Amino acid sequence: MKIWSTEHIFSYPWETVIKAAMRKYPNPMNPNVVGVDVLDRGLDTEGRLHSHRLLSTEWGLPAIVRAILGTNHTQTYVKEHSIVDPEEKKMELCSTNITLTNFISVDERLLYRPHPENPEVTILTQEAIITVKGVSLSSYLEGMMARRMSANARKGWDAIEWIIQNSERERTSL
Amino acid sequence: MNSVGESCTDLKRDYDQCFNRWFAEKFLKGDRSEDPCTETFRKYQRCVQKAIKEKDIPVDGVEFMGPNKDKPES
Repeated sequence: MKIWSTEHIFSYPWETVIKAAMRKYPNPMNPNVVGVDVLDRGLDTEGRLHSHRLLSTEWGLPAIVRAILGTNHTQTYVKEHSIVDPEEKKMELCSTNITLTNFISVDERLLYRPHPENPEVTILTQEAIITVKGVSLSSYLEGMMARRMSANARKGWDAIEWIIQNSERERTSL
Repeated sequence: MNSVGESCTDLKRDYDQCFNRWFAEKFLKGDRSEDPCTETFRKYQRCVQKAIKEKDIPVDGVEFMGPNKDKPES
């Protein structure tokens, strides 16, 4: 099992960042995400918005890798639960893979909040628990996954910034 | 962005547009007036649930939340 965590600061207010986070896909930094659907969405009794989403990702795994993993599918699926609390200004996302679960489980949690020392900017704390199952090289593979996640996290932050800047460009050209 | 069910992409886009507008202009500003996207969401959902069954995507175990929403018919 490997635990990985990181923090990142966006130089934009919380509302701007989470509007972008809700519209994160598509973006040029995450071309592997090929489908996103909302499975359910609604407000709870405290006025927080819950969304359950399904993401499909295409990694272009070669046939031999797919044979080893025992899958015919070329796409892997992730389910995501997000909670937006507009009073407390918190957006939390939890996601986990629902395919390839015999081989690996990646549970990720993201939390977007205004920075406690500067409410004009937003802090994202991100963590993941990675478990590769039943394979003797598990700690090596887990380490590899954690490094991959660091690279992907950077892409994710760039994606949010790209969405924010594109929205600003649209607004100023009106 | 496409839907997981290719034929649902147009319905998804309609719903996403409605939702993004409501999210930015109402929800985040504390406006709790009626959600205008319920009908668009229902149409989109019927399509997605069908695609999930057809593709055999294992979404079981996703708790369907939302006291304000009808449970989808199974």
